[in-house]
Formats: sequence, C-alpha cells, structure tokens
Amino acid sequence: MADNYEEMSCSEAKELLRKWRDDNERRSDEVVQIFDYCLADKVKKLGSERLIVLEQVFVAALDCGRIKLAEDCVRVLISEFPESLRIMKLKAMLLEALERYDDALDVLESIINKDETNAAARKRKIAILKAKGQISDAIRELCDYLRKFMSDQEAWHELCNLYMMEGDYSKAAFCMEEVLLHNPFSHLIHQRMGDIRYTMGGQDNIEIAKSYYAQAVKLNANNLRALYGLYLCCGHIVNSKAPVNKRKEAQKLSTWALKKISEITNDKLPRSTKSSKNSNQSNDIAALEAAFGNLDAKLN
Amino acid sequence: MAELLIDPNIRGWVFLPIVVITFLVGIIRHYVSNLISSTKKIELTQLQDSQAMIRARLLRENGKYLTPQSFAMRRHFFNNEESGYFKTQKRPPVTPNSSAMLTDLVKGNFINVLPMVVIGGWINWMFSGFVTTKVPFPLTLRFKPMLQRGVELQSLDASWVSSASWYFLNVFGLRNIYTLVLGENNAADQTQSMQDQMSLNAAGQMPQDPKQAFKNEWEALEITEYKNALHNVCDDLLVSVSEPMTNNIHH
Repeated sequence: MADNYEEMSCSEAKELLRKWRDDNERRSDEVVQIFDYCLADKVKKLGSERLIVLEQVFVAALDCGRIKLAEDCVRVLISEFPESLRIMKLKAMLLEALERYDDALDVLESIINKDETNAAARKRKIAILKAKGQISDAIRELCDYLRKFMSDQEAWHELCNLYMMEGDYSKAAFCMEEVLLHNPFSHLIHQRMGDIRYTMGGQDNIEIAKSYYAQAVKLNANNLRALYGLYLCCGHIVNSKAPVNKRKEAQKLSTWALKKISEITNDKLPRSTKSSKNSNQSNDIAALEAAFGNLDAKLN
Repeated sequence: MAELLIDPNIRGWVFLPIVVITFLVGIIRHYVSNLISSTKKIELTQLQDSQAMIRARLLRENGKYLTPQSFAMRRHFFNNEESGYFKTQKRPPVTPNSSAMLTDLVKGNFINVLPMVVIGGWINWMFSGFVTTKVPFPLTLRFKPMLQRGVELQSLDASWVSSASWYFLNVFGLRNIYTLVLGENNAADQTQSMQDQMSLNAAGQMPQDPKQAFKNEWEALEITEYKNALHNVCDDLLVSVSEPMTNNIHH
C-alpha cells in the first residue's frame, strides 16, 4: 500500500483521508506521505474539506516530527479562524512539540478561561505534565479532571496507566473497573483487570483475577494471555491453603487451560513449519512449557 | 373527459416562480439562522451532573461485573446519607423561562414559524386557484384534497396539481436540493427544523431540574441489587468443556 501513494489521484487521497478521519485512525506516517505526494500542491482544490484535512495533516505532522509542515498548516488555519478555540488548541500542541511547555500551558489556560467546559484543553494540560515526567502531578490533575468529567472512559484508562507507572495497583484497579463499567463485554479489559489483580497478589486478589481471566476466556476463547493468566491463577490456588474442593476445581481448570493453550499454539504452528523462524518459535514454546512445568514442580 | 390545455403563462408566472420562491426562502432561512443562532453555552456544573448521571446508570447496569467491595464503594460514593454525591450536591432548580431560553424560543419562532405563515399565506393569496401541472400517472380520488388544495372541482382529474399544493410539495421535497447546494446539516429545510423543535420540547424538559433527576437516580441506585456476574464463570467454563474433556481429565 505504501508504494502506491505517489500514483494516487487527488480524489482518492481525499477519500482515504476522510475514511481515516471518520474511523478515528491516526496513521500519521501515511497521512503525511499522502499529503506530500498527492495533495501538497493542490491544497486549494480540496474545496470544503481543505481546512479539516489541514488539521488532520497538522496532527500527523507533529507525530512525525515534521515541524515545518505543521507550522505551515497551522498558519493557514489561524489566518482562517483567528479566534477559534479549536485552532488555539492546535497552536498549543505545536508549542508542546517544540517543548515550549510554559507557553503551551498559557495558551491552554486561556482556552479554559474562555470555555470552561473544554475537555480537550484540560486533557492536554495533563499530557504536558506527563511529557515532563511529573507523573504524580499528572495524576493529581487527572483526578481533578475526572471529578468533573466522570464518564470519560479514556481518562479513566489513562489514570489507570499512570497509577500502574507509580505501582499503585489498587487505585489502578479502581480505574480499570470504571473502564469495565463502560465496556462490560470487552475481553481485553477483563483480561487487564485480571492482570492487575494478579499483580496485586494475595489469596483474595488471585481468586478475583481468576474469575476475570475466566470471563475474558469466555468472551474470547482465543485470548492466549487470559488463558495463561487463568493457568497461573489456578496453579497458585492449587498450591494454596484453599479448601479442598476449591483446589480440585482449580486443578481441573488449569488442566483445561493448559490443553487449550497447547491447542492454540499447535494450531498456529504446523501451517508453516518449514521456516526456521517458526521452529525457533516452537522451541520458545517448548521452553515456556518447560518453565511452567518447573514452576509447577517447585510449587508442589 | 376532454383534455385540458394549460396556458404557457401559468408555467412562466406560477409554476416556476413557486419553485424559485420556496428555494430562495430556504437559502435565506439557512443564512439568517446561521447569523442569529447562538451556540448553546453549557454550564460546567450541568456537564458534571450529566456525567455523574451516566456513571451512576452504568454502575446500575454493569455493576455486576465488579467485585462486591468495589460495587459497594461506588454506591457509597453516590448514595451515602451524609457524604453521597446525590445527597450533597445541591443545585438550584433552573427556571424554565430564563432569558436565554426565551430568546432562543423567539429566534426559533422567528426563523421557522414566521416565514412559514407569511410565505405560505402570500403564495396562497397570490397564486390561488391555478391548476399548475399534472403528474404523469393516474391517481384515485383520494388524492384530490392533497393535490388540489384551493381548486375544489368535482370533475377535475385527480392527477392535476393545484398551485397551493405545488407549494407544499416544494416545501417538503426540496431537502435534497438544499443538501446539494448548502451541504449537509443546513438549516434551510423547514420540516427538519420543525421536527427538531418538537423533539427538543419533549426531551428538553428532562434535565432542567437536576434535583429531581438526582433523586430518581438515587432511588434507582438504592434499590439496585448487587449480583456478582463473575461468581459462576469458572463453573460455567468447566461445565461447557467438561463433556468433551472428561476423557482427557481422567485418563
């Protein structure tokens, strides 16, 4: 795909960019390439989409470190809408990319003063703190933000990641639960909950982790990480001082999980066993299984 | 029935002017409403309240996936007698006829109702009683009141269209043309904006009194019974696999 950008016609490029905009795909590299090859000389021809394409290209250019291109885009946009808060946010992003954080903060502050419901500007402020490495400040700001915008699941997710960076797993679990409330049918979030609970450790948390992993497996039977997690949790329970019937059940479940894992991994392997890379992979899996076996033996 | 022949002057001075007038009025409406419409300012507390409501609703619906402790913690946050969110947040009830809403209402009437009445009345008065065009297929008598408003002739075939009806056909049928000329989401279409107003009046009532809304949500959350959905998931997993697995486990 990447090779064809040079031959793409203007309207095709427009279509593609619109599709990515609608689907919320970032694809910064591709966007900048398309702009360079197809659209750079024909910006005028884009018609009613000209400005929105420029905004898209601006963000992509910042992602790729093409400061010059970004400056060109934002100059056009500012001349078009000198007062717009949306463009002011872009300006702040440019300042951020240039690492002029204090100036960026000033701009964002003025946006919030004008429109105190502007969530994007508040989030950017937190992003600046994160970029500067002030994780605890970022957490404080984000908590403050979430007190006002309680159902912003993106923000909850980010707060969860920040807490994990700090190693504060119980708070991370709280944030992840909030995300889970928004998407109760996502196996990845259940699996994540399992990860956090397992990492927290302790008998109760392992039990909880087990049920979250089990739910993730139930939602998607091919979630290998959740299967491994389930296996580990069950192994832990088997070797704990839990009641006998619980241990028996865990034993059953762990046998099943292990079988399922080997089914999945074996399924994937034989299709192209010839290449050496895959034999490496099968070696890896054999090693991994041996490691799990050892773990078992040690625990026993 | 004898074939009717229509004076070409009717085409030139009635049929086409009605199309042009309705079209131009739509365009003007679009620009006028752009000119005088104000973006609605949302208060921060209002936003916060609605987000809290969403969060509480999600807790009610999906809380079963949390551990009992996490669920109780969240319910405590919203519903605790002394410190709960729904108990402590006191919002002044929004008076429904605040000035901002009143101006909005006046503006809406000015853009929607006034042109409808004035232009419609004028067209009715100016072009009344003409038979303007004929649909190229036969229609039953039932269509007569729809297509021949203003021309009550018993013997006239139902496929003839009167001028007043032609105006209404234009009002309702020009939406696609407006989309073509003005782009999506234009304000030219009268029918669309009238629908908006209707639904706004119906739905707009709800969030006006946060106190009442809080009380409802508090009640709903209070009677929500927690039932852990993950309690049996391991057993389910085992049951669903135990039949094909039995050989493997016991061999």
